[in-house]
Amino acid sequence: MVLLLKKEEVTFPMDEQAVMSFRDVVKVYPLPAGDVTALDGVTFLVDRGEFISIMGPSGSGKSTLLNLMGCLDTPTSGDIFISGTRIGDMTDAELTNLRRDRIGFIFQYFNLFPLLNAIENVTFPMMLKSGKNVDTKKAHDVLHAVQLEEQFYSHTPTELSGGQQQRVAVARALINDPDILLCDEPTGNLDSKTGAGIMDLMTELNRNGTTIIMVTHDPNIAKYSNRTIRIADGRIVE
Amino acid sequence: MSGMIFFEIAKRNIRIHMLRSSLAMLGIIIGVVAIASMGILGNSMVLAVSDSLRTVGDSVIVTPHVGGTTHGFGGGTGGGSSSLSISEQDYQQIKRVSAPNVAIPVLQTSDRMKLGVGTDDIVAPIYGLNPDDVPDLLKLKEGGYSRGNSGCLVGSKFADDHKIKVGTRIAIGTDGTKGTLRVTGIIEERGMAFDVSTDSAVVATKDWFDTAYNRNDYDKVVVKVKNLDDLPTVKTAIEKQMNKRDTIVDVMDTRKTMETIFQAFGQITTFVTAIGGISMIVAGVSILNIMMMSVTERIKEIGIMRSIGAQKKEVMWMFLYEALILGIAGSLIGGVLSLLGGYAISSMMLQTTKYLFVPSSLVNIVYGVSFGIVVCLICGIYPAWRAANLNPIDALRHE
Repeated sequence: MVLLLKKEEVTFPMDEQAVMSFRDVVKVYPLPAGDVTALDGVTFLVDRGEFISIMGPSGSGKSTLLNLMGCLDTPTSGDIFISGTRIGDMTDAELTNLRRDRIGFIFQYFNLFPLLNAIENVTFPMMLKSGKNVDTKKAHDVLHAVQLEEQFYSHTPTELSGGQQQRVAVARALINDPDILLCDEPTGNLDSKTGAGIMDLMTELNRNGTTIIMVTHDPNIAKYSNRTIRIADGRIVE
Repeated sequence: MSGMIFFEIAKRNIRIHMLRSSLAMLGIIIGVVAIASMGILGNSMVLAVSDSLRTVGDSVIVTPHVGGTTHGFGGGTGGGSSSLSISEQDYQQIKRVSAPNVAIPVLQTSDRMKLGVGTDDIVAPIYGLNPDDVPDLLKLKEGGYSRGNSGCLVGSKFADDHKIKVGTRIAIGTDGTKGTLRVTGIIEERGMAFDVSTDSAVVATKDWFDTAYNRNDYDKVVVKVKNLDDLPTVKTAIEKQMNKRDTIVDVMDTRKTMETIFQAFGQITTFVTAIGGISMIVAGVSILNIMMMSVTERIKEIGIMRSIGAQKKEVMWMFLYEALILGIAGSLIGGVLSLLGGYAISSMMLQTTKYLFVPSSLVNIVYGVSFGIVVCLICGIYPAWRAANLNPIDALRHE
């Protein structure tokens, strides 16, 4: 058991394979018109090496769930464990370090830094982690692994196609060897052929041991995963 | 360190918004130039005045008290510029209490004079001094001191303006009624002075002056104090002696007066520099404005940075780097231009640039540059803080 928990808190069954667990998580947004419950007692466990898709209609709580999984937010009640670490009481700086070291993000709109070229975008999280200038060899290797041709390494995002940008984004997400890859509609802004190429890449990464959690609306994309969590009105329905 | 990548991003952001950044920098440049140039001008003015007054910083000047009683006074009878004067008896008392310092009695007036045949009359100041006192008071750049009553000295500016050489004759009074004097020497330039301002004047002997203007008294007494620390003592001694019952003389310590003048100049310099400082504040506001724009434009980018693991302080530094780059570049350019500005303004207003490259002038450039950088840093703090404290979720959603 790798969880860093006080004994009395270890009431949730987790095995060594678990990289993430949600235990009765509630998220309430206090609004002037009244409290809005975005997540209402969500409980699930993600094992290492899983490829999970999360589906649900708009307003079902997918984004809230993604924000909590990505340590961008903390729950109103319940517990979330990421790689054995309970995030509820963590400071902003600790959550930031957890995101940097344990989680890779892939966004629908790629979200690369427009002022940096492909290599610099990929090495950016490495620099955040090491606190110094880094060797670009690993970035070259990862970009090679996501099948971006070397001629594009020095290109800025505006000089790359959507598919190429998403490959750079995937490489950036992988560079710090995260435990979990969180993807928010990773093919939502790509044509079907390029989207299929990205999903093939994800499948390949998962085959090589990367845990992937992907939010999507598209059932065809969800088919690439080996488990689907459906959510509606803030609860897991399937 | 990871700071290097944030510095690089700040640099590139400035580069892609070159026009906007340049305009903000221009504000800083103007601010630095305004502060430094005004400081240089003020300091140069102080130095220039200090130079021209330096020769009289060792004197106590005794003049008749304006508005006082007539006790001990002789009337100004010979066309003197003052209706009051110091009598021989008063002078002797001043001389006695000032000893061992030299007390030099001075007569002065101004009169018409003709410098040659066919020339127009001019009006110039005329001083009357004992020939023995003249070497203590005046230095010559040409010729010799006049011993006889028919000789005179002239100031260097007076000589230059009227093309006077040693040997030139000057007819004093309308149609030369006061007599003709021959120039025996030309006095070194002395500038403004509290004792005698001879640059544009004629200096005759006391005896000639007494005869020509029917005087037997003095307009002022200049006490040359050998040890400058004795200036207040000498001043007090003269005041005690002369103003026992009534105030009959005014006694001026020239060093004290110079200090007051320099203090006034210092205040003027501070005031003018403060006006320059206002332009720097305006420039700071423009830096604040473009930094706020920069933050607003990059909210999404900040959200991505925070989501992939950039700490608040790293985001904050990225914007502070931007403000610092603008501040340092603008201030350094401003510093260089301040030298040119100081050169131009000194040339125009003081007709000399010799006071530009002295430490007390150049330090104004350091002040200007430092102030520029500090203002930029301060104006960058709020936008940087705002950027660092954005909610990552809201920032990521921002379009």
